[in-house]
Amino acid sequence: MKAVRPKTFVSGARLVWRWQRIVWWVFIVSLVLALFAVRGMVERAGAAMDHSLASQRLVDGFDVSAVFELMVQPDSPIEAPGPAIFHYSVIFAIFMLFAAGGILATYYDDAKPSTTAFFEACGHYFWRFVRLVIYMLLAFIPIGIFIAICGPIYDRIEDKSISPYSSVYFSCAAALVVLLLLIVVRLWFDMAQVISVAEDETRMHRALRRAASLLWHNFGSLFWLYLRISMLAWIFCGLGLHLWMYHLRPQSTTAAFLLAQTIVLFWIGTRLWQRASEVLWYRKFQAAGVTESTSSPAPSPDPSPLPYSTAMN
Amino acid sequence: MLCRLCISFLAGAMLLSASALSQSSRRLTTPKTNSAPSPASSSTLSTRIVAYDIDAKLNTAAHTIDATETLVYRNLTGQPQQIFPFHLYLNAFQPQSTLMTEVRVVGTRGTGPNSGWDDKHHGSITVSKLEVEGMGDLTGKMEFIQPDDRNANDRSVFQVTLPKSIAPGESVQFRMSFHDELPEVLHRTGYKRDFYMVGQWFPKVGVWWKNAWNCHQFHANSEFFADFGTVDVNVTLPKNEIVGASGDLMSSSDNSDGTKTVKFHSEDVHDFSWTASPDYTVLQDSWTGSAGPVKILVLMSPGNMSSASRYIQALKGTLAWYDKWIGPYPYDRITVVDPPHGALDAGGMEYPTLITAGTGWFMPKGRLEPEAVVEHEFGHQYWYGMVATNEFEDAWLDEGINSYLEAKVMDELYGKNTSRFNFPFATAGNSEYQRLAYISLPDTDPLTRFSWKYIDDNAYGAVAYDKTATVLITLEKLIGEDTLRAALHEYFLRYRFKHPTGEDFLKTIEDVSHQDLKWYFDQAVYGTNILDYEIWNAHSDRLNWWEKEISGKNAGDEIHRTYVTVHRKGDFVFPVDVVIKFDDGTSATEHWDGRDRWIRYTYDRKAELASAQLDPENQVWLDRNLFNNSYTVQEDKRAVHKLQNLWIFASECLSQFLAWIS
Repeated sequence: MKAVRPKTFVSGARLVWRWQRIVWWVFIVSLVLALFAVRGMVERAGAAMDHSLASQRLVDGFDVSAVFELMVQPDSPIEAPGPAIFHYSVIFAIFMLFAAGGILATYYDDAKPSTTAFFEACGHYFWRFVRLVIYMLLAFIPIGIFIAICGPIYDRIEDKSISPYSSVYFSCAAALVVLLLLIVVRLWFDMAQVISVAEDETRMHRALRRAASLLWHNFGSLFWLYLRISMLAWIFCGLGLHLWMYHLRPQSTTAAFLLAQTIVLFWIGTRLWQRASEVLWYRKFQAAGVTESTSSPAPSPDPSPLPYSTAMN
Repeated sequence: MLCRLCISFLAGAMLLSASALSQSSRRLTTPKTNSAPSPASSSTLSTRIVAYDIDAKLNTAAHTIDATETLVYRNLTGQPQQIFPFHLYLNAFQPQSTLMTEVRVVGTRGTGPNSGWDDKHHGSITVSKLEVEGMGDLTGKMEFIQPDDRNANDRSVFQVTLPKSIAPGESVQFRMSFHDELPEVLHRTGYKRDFYMVGQWFPKVGVWWKNAWNCHQFHANSEFFADFGTVDVNVTLPKNEIVGASGDLMSSSDNSDGTKTVKFHSEDVHDFSWTASPDYTVLQDSWTGSAGPVKILVLMSPGNMSSASRYIQALKGTLAWYDKWIGPYPYDRITVVDPPHGALDAGGMEYPTLITAGTGWFMPKGRLEPEAVVEHEFGHQYWYGMVATNEFEDAWLDEGINSYLEAKVMDELYGKNTSRFNFPFATAGNSEYQRLAYISLPDTDPLTRFSWKYIDDNAYGAVAYDKTATVLITLEKLIGEDTLRAALHEYFLRYRFKHPTGEDFLKTIEDVSHQDLKWYFDQAVYGTNILDYEIWNAHSDRLNWWEKEISGKNAGDEIHRTYVTVHRKGDFVFPVDVVIKFDDGTSATEHWDGRDRWIRYTYDRKAELASAQLDPENQVWLDRNLFNNSYTVQEDKRAVHKLQNLWIFASECLSQFLAWIS
């Protein structure tokens, strides 16, 4: 199979920008769910802090002992926020799984869908994508095994090496490998989702096989596409956190909120950038008329409209 | 930077340089070894009861030590003594020992109740021979005793009954051969790879105290207690080992078998530990105080060099503040041992003139952990090392006073609100940090609890260390910070080298402050009462509330009745001040003795309430909850918004992560 190297990095960004309402929409859902997640804690903390002079320890700086003081009280106004945050995060993850079909269809068609058509697409692909999640859990097993193998090796290095850096270097290397493997798996399953949408493929194992084949033959360009965008996200996130932690005045609550949300917005944008780029890549791949040597049906050289595209017009 | 600190990187052999060896202590006399210890005189710091002379050989392959020990004990008990108890601390590192049994219940120093047994934790000390001069071989007369819990499997204390009594003022000489098997670092002692921290490693005689032998078993949460005297130790070990010890290095000589023998001598101390590793980097510095120069030796482990200058800076600062506040440091040396990674259980420990620190390869400058550990462990040189209270029974005296001064010294050196964490985005003061531990467990145990009888390891730390520090900070409100400092100074001068009790300490505070503080000590020291005051209710009401409200120019003439109700939530009675501020800028200050359960203040003014605040100087640190100590009419949501920002961001990050993997 001949590898194709369509330039999708910039055009992917343009596609996301063109359909930026999706980014805003996802961002707002994320923010609203987060607000719900922390609502109870905010109310309880407010009851203890809003009329207390002791809360100045958190206004003029961030005295961590003040936060912990509230947490260790028997009638703690601040409890560990973990459970509520986790529950709402799961809801967001399910929402994103649901919305993925509509988002990919929109990127694929590059045309404004009606609300009905968008949600039809969401529902149309949802259970397929749920099946893909189950497959992906299986794909995580080898990575889990790799991590499990690294654990004892790390312990042994930590135990035997005179220098503390040996185990640090090892864990950094292992973490990097795990990260790269995770990106590969994500790339693979994202491609399967794209194939499912573009070809209306109902059998997910076939979509996965074809995605694996495409990935195998175009690994360099696809992986580099994803990695570049991921690196941009990490760099922006790091810079944002640095700015938040080291340069914002402690009293700048509004600025901190805006900065934090900008980080999240950019994070969402880059993730959608990856999806859009992959869709574009696949469209160009189809347009190039490249046929696969696998037994699976080759994609049509001319991208056909999606099964619900009539409804969208 | 290190060069500016006059630090030189020396090999182990250079550490034992002749110039260093020639420096004998200016302030301490050199006693005759193997002879009866001399009583306190103008030339000695302590009443010397014991004189140990130990010849030890380290086997680095088996992690064992074979040694002979000669102990000359001077009977200053005022009565004939025929029975002598000895500590064998290393025997605690066995599964059925009292220490390990307690670990399963209460945990201790990095070892939780659920920790399984590992053979590498095995340690032991076997006395193969015991002779007493003039009385022959008494090995058969040794018997293990368990004075604390009658656990027959515990072998951390033995006693020997002599054929005849030792008269008051007489001396007796014990000669022992013993064999140590060191555990992998556990509970402050042992080995890790080629690192050795050898503490509590030789048979130590108990202390005649309060008219009885005091020789407790080794417990999960207890430290040590011993008599003062001299210690001479010869250690034979491989040539490449770099050695540090709680004593002056007297000589080092190479042997024909590839080993060397280093000789240490120490005076007016009650313990002796040593460390060895071929991987140490040796740094030297010095500091001069009111008692003369002090040689600083820092033994750094690989990977931790970035903390070296931080150790030294903290140590010099602590030396200076202790010298100024408490008294002179009379020894001419202090050694800081930096344990290698994986051996942090050996860190954060004190021995006479030797302390172990603690850091890691990644230690941001804003996290003042290395500084706090060095400060704390050096502080022990005064309270554990010289005042030498009974750590089994009165842990609070040593750990607590030391923790209080840790907060004070760290605040002086690194800023009151930044002496524990000092990042642009988050801060915490050392004293606040300690108070946090106290308020998490404020009422489980009194300060005076024997150290192994606390409800668990966390309570031991929270009460003996942190509550004591907080009790003393709160005491500043009653007698003043300067008076309390003067009392500590007096306590040190009055009781150094004397093993005082808790009553001695409290009486010294009352003597210096000229106050009867029994009511406070009964609650704070001997009791478990909780101190928590709150503004129960505060608001203003128009005096003629039933009439229509005046608006316009005359609105300010209206009289308001302001109510402020203060409630004592806990059982700890403590006098508090209350400041009530009004919206016209005026204020009223009240003083409440706190004896009743609540009190209500009422004011009729042409102004409304702005705020009510308890303890406006923020001195009553024993108060469990400082957030309910004030009430402002004006709502200020900035703090909550700040927390909300963090939680929202955390929630969104988790959402993105879960969405990414699904």
